[in-house]
Amino acid sequence: MSIHFDRQSAEARFREVFSHLGAVTAYARRRGSRDPDGIAAEAMTIAWRRLDDVPRDDPLPWLYGTARNLVLAEARRAAPSAPAASADGKHVDQPPVELDPTLERALRGLSQLDRETLLLVAWEDLTPGQAARALGISPVAFRVRLLRARRRLQTSLEEAQTASPPPHLNHLDVEGT
Amino acid sequence: MKNDSTLAYLRRLNPVPKAASVDGADLFERIISLPRDERPAPRRSATRRRVALVAVGLAVMALLATTAFAVANWFGDVVKPAVTKQEYKTAQSELTLPPGVTWPELNVDPNSVTSRGGGGSSAVMIAMGSWECYWADAIRSGDEQAQQRAHAELNSLFANHVVIAPAGASENWFPIGHPFPVVDRELPLDQAAEAHRLIEERQTFGKVVLKP
Repeated sequence: MSIHFDRQSAEARFREVFSHLGAVTAYARRRGSRDPDGIAAEAMTIAWRRLDDVPRDDPLPWLYGTARNLVLAEARRAAPSAPAASADGKHVDQPPVELDPTLERALRGLSQLDRETLLLVAWEDLTPGQAARALGISPVAFRVRLLRARRRLQTSLEEAQTASPPPHLNHLDVEGT
Repeated sequence: MKNDSTLAYLRRLNPVPKAASVDGADLFERIISLPRDERPAPRRSATRRRVALVAVGLAVMALLATTAFAVANWFGDVVKPAVTKQEYKTAQSELTLPPGVTWPELNVDPNSVTSRGGGGSSAVMIAMGSWECYWADAIRSGDEQAQQRAHAELNSLFANHVVIAPAGASENWFPIGHPFPVVDRELPLDQAAEAHRLIEERQTFGKVVLKP
């Protein structure tokens, strides 16, 4: 009876977590994943397995942090010229998102952590506290990092606007500098 | 971009402005059919563990101290209450001193165990009963020099922070706080002056015990 009740309670709770599936999918797409649906599904599977670790009040930063690790792992696995494949082995032809070339060049000029700091706030609409939880750092450290990242992006944008246009890059190099 | 803040500029160029519309009903059912990780019982925080450890340590130390005290008391090594000031006053009232002879000022608490000079060699222990006899004998002898000598010696004893044992104390009596003192030698009571000479000349290593 107790096990049955626990199961029901866990399912009810996971349903709330699962309601963020669309947000996690969009996150993976924004980060240039070739298989955003697979990333989101895997993040949700991890959330189910480790449901006790998912914050009850606000699971979204935890989900973003998990999805970020999965996107990074995907980028490490994928050879630059290899076709993307989903978790079940099927090829995925979903084109990565296209960015404004100037912005893409400027973002490439940032470190991966600076880029994630900016994008969590700008694209995922997280508060600094939520974004800090997603990155696993303190809110104060996040604010400092955000301030510096904004300055670096500003500089990088100015440099990107004066430089020649880059070759077409359809995937944000998450491992880039 | 010039008049646009960096974050607003980024927001404006968000490539996926809205959350993806995903029908995940089937995915949800598949996920909840998977087993979940067994999570071990939550561990106590480090602070709580430290507090608990200190509390257990204190409890064990208190238990050991109580046990050691009880055992030592059982064997008589410890620790009868030393003479009190009231007992000292009572002794004064029971003895009639001849004219011109006064009691020495009790300038130390007989219950306290003190030492002076380091090395544990400055305290002399004397049995209270014997001290009374010694004092009384000097008074009763009628010998004025003996009375003055006794007076001076007793004053000296007190000045040197003598530890006074209670009347009837066993041979194993030691004052509280010095359960296992180092005894250099034992001298008969009538050699109190010799005991003090040894102490003042630092020829002893440990305490000198005057025995009746």
